[in-house]
Amino acid sequence: MTITPVAETATGATQPPSVLRRLGRLMLSEYFVLVLCVAYVLAIAPFVPEILSWEVASNILSDMMPLLVVAIGQTFVLIIAGIDLSVTAIVSMSAVVGASVMTGTGGYLGDTAFAVPGAVLAMLFTGLVIGAINGFSVIRLNMPSFIVTLATRMFFAGAAVWYVTFHSTSSSIANLPESFAEFATGHLFGIPLTVIAAGLIAVVAHVVLSRTRFGRAVYAVGANPRAARVSGIPVERTILFCFLISGVCASVAATIYVSRMQTGSPIVGENILLDVIGAVVIGGTSLFGGKGKIVWTVFGVLFLLLLDTSMKLLGASLFAIYIIKGGVILLAALVDVARNRWLVGR
Amino acid sequence: MSTLLEVSGLTKSFFGVTVLHGVDFVVRPGEALGLVGENGSGKSTSMNILGGVHRPEAGTMRLDGQAYAPQNPKDAISAGIAFIHQELNLFPNLSVEENLFVDAFPRWNGLPFIDRRAIRAQTEAVLHEVDLDIRPSTPVARLSQGERQLVEIAKALSRKARLIIFDEPTTSLTRPEVDRLFGIIAKLKARGIGIIYISHALEDVLAVCDSIAVLRDGHLAGAGPASEMPIGRMISLMVGRSIDTIYPDRQTAPGKQVVLAVEALSQPGVAEKISLEVRAGEIVGLAGLMGSGRSELARMIFGLDRFASGTIRVNGQPLDDPTPEKAIEAGIAFLTEDRRGEGLLMDFTIAENTVIASLDSVAGPLGILDNKRIASVSREMGRSMHLSTDKVEETRVKHLSGGNQQKVVIGKWLRREPTLFILDEPTRGIDVGAKQEVYRIINALTARGSGVLLISSEIEELIGLSDRILTISRGEIVAEFNNRPFDREAIMAAATGQRAWEGASA
Amino acid sequence: MALNRRDFTLASLAAIAASSGLTLAVKAQGTKTIAVLFDGLYSEFWVAGIQIIRDELKKRGYEIMEAISDQDDNKQFEQVRAAIARKVDGIIIVQTDSNAVIPAIKAANAANIPMVHFNRPPAQSDAFSVAIQADNQKIAREAVDYACTVAQKSGKKHQAAILIGDLGDPNAIQRRDGFQEAVDKYPDAIEVVAKIPTEWNADTAFAGLTNALQANPDISFLFTSSDFLLPQIQQALKTADKWHKVGEDGHVILTGFDGFPDAYALMKDGYMDACGVQNLFFETQLAIQAILDLGEGKKVEKLLLDPGFAITQANMNEKASEMWGYVLWKEKNPG
Repeated sequence: MTITPVAETATGATQPPSVLRRLGRLMLSEYFVLVLCVAYVLAIAPFVPEILSWEVASNILSDMMPLLVVAIGQTFVLIIAGIDLSVTAIVSMSAVVGASVMTGTGGYLGDTAFAVPGAVLAMLFTGLVIGAINGFSVIRLNMPSFIVTLATRMFFAGAAVWYVTFHSTSSSIANLPESFAEFATGHLFGIPLTVIAAGLIAVVAHVVLSRTRFGRAVYAVGANPRAARVSGIPVERTILFCFLISGVCASVAATIYVSRMQTGSPIVGENILLDVIGAVVIGGTSLFGGKGKIVWTVFGVLFLLLLDTSMKLLGASLFAIYIIKGGVILLAALVDVARNRWLVGR
Repeated sequence: MSTLLEVSGLTKSFFGVTVLHGVDFVVRPGEALGLVGENGSGKSTSMNILGGVHRPEAGTMRLDGQAYAPQNPKDAISAGIAFIHQELNLFPNLSVEENLFVDAFPRWNGLPFIDRRAIRAQTEAVLHEVDLDIRPSTPVARLSQGERQLVEIAKALSRKARLIIFDEPTTSLTRPEVDRLFGIIAKLKARGIGIIYISHALEDVLAVCDSIAVLRDGHLAGAGPASEMPIGRMISLMVGRSIDTIYPDRQTAPGKQVVLAVEALSQPGVAEKISLEVRAGEIVGLAGLMGSGRSELARMIFGLDRFASGTIRVNGQPLDDPTPEKAIEAGIAFLTEDRRGEGLLMDFTIAENTVIASLDSVAGPLGILDNKRIASVSREMGRSMHLSTDKVEETRVKHLSGGNQQKVVIGKWLRREPTLFILDEPTRGIDVGAKQEVYRIINALTARGSGVLLISSEIEELIGLSDRILTISRGEIVAEFNNRPFDREAIMAAATGQRAWEGASA
Repeated sequence: MALNRRDFTLASLAAIAASSGLTLAVKAQGTKTIAVLFDGLYSEFWVAGIQIIRDELKKRGYEIMEAISDQDDNKQFEQVRAAIARKVDGIIIVQTDSNAVIPAIKAANAANIPMVHFNRPPAQSDAFSVAIQADNQKIAREAVDYACTVAQKSGKKHQAAILIGDLGDPNAIQRRDGFQEAVDKYPDAIEVVAKIPTEWNADTAFAGLTNALQANPDISFLFTSSDFLLPQIQQALKTADKWHKVGEDGHVILTGFDGFPDAYALMKDGYMDACGVQNLFFETQLAIQAILDLGEGKKVEKLLLDPGFAITQANMNEKASEMWGYVLWKEKNPG
């Protein structure tokens, strides 16, 4: 028998038994969550047959879109081992700013041809600005992103309510142009516009993360910022860009919400934080940074929406839905830990 | 003659691969056994068996004549076996006394309160035994590496250890600290405590040990009294062939062009008007103790640390307010001393690490990466570096041995064809074979015309490789040695600031 | 009073008769489902409201699809769509935002499912739905009016304070206006010295009232736009040594709104003078009837008002049985 040194090479590790190995391989597979989605639909279908209907499927698809866009932005931030808690406030703030620009009752550009494009630009700009505040605070003041975005979340959630008091007599801004509603309701070649927009964002985000220099830098910064810095990766710029991306994604989601609700409400999106971070984590993106993919996030959002919709159809109480979602997210986090262990053991 | 520990026929395999083949050795009370061998030779496994972490498949151990078969680390501790690890197992936030008694605080009158007074008294006693003059209430965070190690030894003594195992105890110590440690080890021996001393630093092994056992591939390659084990013999036993010199001959002479010119670089408390030059094809060695400013100098040049004043020129071009990005752009490469923390992205594959510092060369329009090209350049790098695996796209670097990891770090920088390569401890923690490989690469680098600034704790290495050696002490360049053969003692003396080594250099 | 006890009983009987007839009809055609979508169960009013709707629907043999949106308009929109996907026969909804609910109404219109807003009307739009609403202004006016007569009888001038609800909620505005109309009639007895915004938040209310009592220590007349703030009011008044029974020295003339069990208990114990009561039983009847009528293609007004009533120390014994808070209180304190 030939002898090879063992302690520090990969060759010495064992292969686990084949059933375990297959299970392990499935757990590590990119499509694990998708498999879960299919399994879940099959399991729940006898109880809520409607879930297999075209109407519910298209509802799930359109409900997914705003959440997906926010989650894509969040994926970037989670990969750099940060977290963006302010996304909900960005959605609210962008929503009321956008609505205040285009509303027919005293909007800045109300009843003009520029109302809609102006409002969309204002919303994206709002997202960019809040993202920049987050990013600069993290890199310049060296503050943990948790604290920074918790602060901006509170600030802009409050600011959004306050902003409305200057632009409306009620608690929200309504009377938005009909053409803007088209975004949420319209179709192109039979595909909802929001799905096209979110799909485009997902594809671009996927390519950026997996195939570009910037994407490589994002993973490197998340895995080990010190090593990334020594290798000449612009660590700070990368972090800043991730927060900008998260901000813009959140404001894109705001356009979908506002168009859908036909109202700029300062509390729109207030409750989606758990869903956003939960979906990304369910997908498999690590809270420890350095690991994550856009496809994972797509599957995570899909799974969460399936869960949510089926519970809604069952008429489960909101609190039951919270408990179940919380359980699933906890499970996902545990799987993340188990996966890491297993990978280390490999 | 009595024996303290007798190990015979120790055999262990992991997952069908035998890593220990009937290893025997003996430790006598009051004696130190040096255990040497390359990484993977079986040292760690035998020590893990001794410490109760693993159980052997065959073989016996006797401690003081009694059969010794620990089932877990606790058994080993209660049998009087203590480990002093490379990474110390102290809680920096706790005080010295708390660390000593953290797993068994003495009770106050049998009540569940900590008896502070008893702890204080016992701590003072053991600290005295290791010649450590600090207050028991000092937080460990405030101690130097050397002092922390002495605290570990004190901890072993407080547990009535009969056999103390040192695993690479000197890697992070300054020279005076090493001497102090050796003094304590001598004291421990005088008290009848047995020592097992594991180290890659063969000179240290010779200085401390009474007998030496060499392991190779899980076999005992040779053993004997230290007097019959000169370093050359140890190395040839370790690598299984005789080695004349591990330092390759230089084929090229340094050129004229100055690739790095540092002038009056200052940063309060770190660097004091440091000026130096490195020419094309030249290896400049930088000797100094830990904390002397040698690594800090490298980090300042590379833009990782700030400096207050001074200028840096690379190839004649000023490098103002350097950042790593700018430094790399100017042609500098930097191998840091912290390979795991800074040199590599441990979770990334070989291929990903290979191109991480040169992404622009494998990116197309819009920054889209060319994965095929990444794979081919990484395989190319692997071949030229003699990497142990060619699965560059699948293998994560954390699964490589230290030597292979270091080759990836060097390979990653060579892709940029640096005009100046700063190497900070390039051979730390890697075995003799890999060391030679690294030396060969450094040589090839100079042959291509790159300048090298080499930092090392191993004086031998500096002497063996450098064209010039500068010594740095307390942030100042204190001496320059321009001609081979270098005077080892004088370099030491200069590096230690003329104090601890006064006797030796005289 | 617009609605007296007899009217109430008649309405109830009519409703029961209608429902029993309908139960048969439903059983003949298979069960019908009504979606009940609330924005939250933040106070006993809403808990009691949803419970009364549940009981009533069950009694009539309906299936219920229930969901809470937790003040998330988007989520409620999704819930409405889920209800539409389940082809429910009607939707009873309590929205958070009167504007943001309009897309949900439009979706229900498109699916031809009747929608009824319980207690909160939507904003103006071309979408069709029916809203049930208490006549807040009238109820508040009547309750405060009684309190003012008590104040007038005391012979001295009272400093008054009002706890105002969230100004985004039209109900809050109407209650404020009702209060204002009543006190304006008694300029020699009442002087309003503090208008305390609460944003429908108990902590805000407590802090605001405490501050007002410190700034105006002579406040002796208080109206709260909702009974759910009563525990905070009790606490603040106690701290200011103003918690005394009717007739005792230092009593603050206290008027509530909604008709909570707490309010009944305080009136019974003599701490509270009057309370404007929303007739939850009647509103529930109205809501279900509206859905039935709409389902049968009958014409229904866009806004159905619950006239409510004021319960006072004077008419307490006679009116208590119509007060939903009394019914709940009675369940907890039998005998």
